[in-house]
Amino acid sequence: MPRGLWTTTVGSFPKPPHLEKARNQFARGEISSDQLRQLEHDATIEVIRWQEEIGLDILVDGELYRGDMTTYFAELMDGFEISNPVRSYGNRYYRKPVATGRVRRTKPWTVEWWKFAQSQTKKPIKGMLTGPYTMMDWSFNEHYSSREALAMDLAEAIREEAMELAEAGAQFIQVDEPAVSVRPEELKLAVRALGRAVEGVKAKTITHICYGDFDLIYPALLDLPVDMIDLEMANSRYDLLDRFKQHRFTKEIGYGVLDVHSHRIETKEEIKQGILRGLEHLKPEQMYIDPDCGLKTRTVEEAREKLAVMVAAVREVREERGITA
Amino acid sequence: MKLETTLSGSFPKLPLTPGAPNVRVIRNRMDQGKATEKDLRDASRETTRRIVSLQESAGVDLPVDGNVTWDDAQTAVARGLQGFTIAGLIRYLDTNTYYRQPEITGDVKWTKPVTVEDFKAAQGMAHRPLKAVLPGPYSLYRFSRDRHYKDPMEAAAAVGEALAGEAKALEDAGATWIHFEEPWLGRATAADAALVRAALAPVLRGRKAKTTIHVPFRSPHAVFAAIKDLPWTAIGLDLVEAPEAWDLIPEVPAGRTVALGLVDARNTRLEDPAHVAQEVHRARSMRSDLSWQLCPTASLEYLPVDRAAMKVARLTEAARLASANGG
Repeated sequence: MPRGLWTTTVGSFPKPPHLEKARNQFARGEISSDQLRQLEHDATIEVIRWQEEIGLDILVDGELYRGDMTTYFAELMDGFEISNPVRSYGNRYYRKPVATGRVRRTKPWTVEWWKFAQSQTKKPIKGMLTGPYTMMDWSFNEHYSSREALAMDLAEAIREEAMELAEAGAQFIQVDEPAVSVRPEELKLAVRALGRAVEGVKAKTITHICYGDFDLIYPALLDLPVDMIDLEMANSRYDLLDRFKQHRFTKEIGYGVLDVHSHRIETKEEIKQGILRGLEHLKPEQMYIDPDCGLKTRTVEEAREKLAVMVAAVREVREERGITA
Repeated sequence: MKLETTLSGSFPKLPLTPGAPNVRVIRNRMDQGKATEKDLRDASRETTRRIVSLQESAGVDLPVDGNVTWDDAQTAVARGLQGFTIAGLIRYLDTNTYYRQPEITGDVKWTKPVTVEDFKAAQGMAHRPLKAVLPGPYSLYRFSRDRHYKDPMEAAAAVGEALAGEAKALEDAGATWIHFEEPWLGRATAADAALVRAALAPVLRGRKAKTTIHVPFRSPHAVFAAIKDLPWTAIGLDLVEAPEAWDLIPEVPAGRTVALGLVDARNTRLEDPAHVAQEVHRARSMRSDLSWQLCPTASLEYLPVDRAAMKVARLTEAARLASANGG
């Protein structure tokens, strides 16, 4: 009996309203870091509980203690300052890192959080990092003379963190590189930087890429030196499968079936159809089913409902096709 | 001749000072049911007033309204044209910003003004003529997914005709200068030349207003030969990210204007106005038969508002130095 169609998520989960409020209170100096940390711990436990209840196979800590996916790391590193908010779309803003000196890791960024999360469950928790190319591309650069120099210093720093996560026991380490989908001329740099970031890391390595023009980078994308590439499929109406028809997808795939930018809860049937279309081009043992991207922009209720439907759809496909987890 | 200063595209919407009207806060409050559409409209108008005032105080000759009500660079206009529906979120080229992809699902046509009300409101707040901003027709075509037309030329031309309708409406509302933001011209190849012309020709044909074709991020060298005889007033070049665009200056037809994108809209590092002025001098020394504008390389909305404001100040200071040194 074939195995496959494991369920997971891309990383971030929505912060519950009381935690958002607490983060704002902390920013205004109204509560202490210990008080905020306790609330983050409690919320992380809750997120792990409901991932278990839903029945996901590979869990995440939800990143409830993080803000933006680049700024969180930049704030913990030497060599970065943080800008005032910049708009990314509509009413969404983020504070962007500014490289003002040589960037380096001076302390662990996520290892204690990973250990804490893993201590709450027997299921594997993914280690979640942002990749060197994306960190570089999404930062302002007031220090380095080239994009490459900044990316490679970031790769060294990220590798230190990835090694420490693996040593702590992380079986899956995801190094997100959403920026690689938009500058095909720099794909070689992205490959080199990501390659250095995961070099010697004893875990299944994953990278997540989304919201770009895949015509520009597929199949060269497969050169990214990781075991699994996680892609948004639902947002582009599974158009990527047409490319897989022309050039086989040779790695494991994180197969996104939930539109994370829509309030609408997908139907079980449409998710099943998306997975079945994927199975025409991919083997079940290649496929990890997940949302298109992080769920942090949804409400807690929406995220739970979307994931519950996703897991139900996967169970039905497994049953119909005789696939086990 | 005086060196004219202008901006390209959008401007950050957040206030520089706490407590000022803030569209971000109002939109969050709307999501919670605590603010109304009217609250948002009022905050948007106050934000526009602030953006226009900031430019006028800094001495920008040809200010813009900042596109305060736009969610992204394409959909605010595409949504108002017949034949478009708006689909999923997608990254906006190599910027870490996003847009919802317009899809062409029927005959593309202009049926009613889309940006005119905002333009008129902003113009009413200004003490000098504003430059109206629209998506470039070739870029809107390329940013879109065509699910309707069988012939790309027909689709590109239809998008051009529809935007020409909006340009006419802006002219009728008093716009004397219309800026078309065309990032895709920098990605076009020679094989795209006919498509580029098909899209651009309608918006430039018979215009009473002056027009800018602004190309951020990359040089439009692959298609410049195909567009240089079209009747645009100014070509905007990104001379920071695409220094090869300097090579186009000798190719610009006599009597036209080059908008020199010399202030980096994608990095917080602040320019030395004296250095920018030297670069202006370098351009002027290449041609005596052109007019010149100085502008940021792209929309300043890629920057936080504090840096965007500083860049505007550097821009006008550089223009002052260049004018003092070069007449």
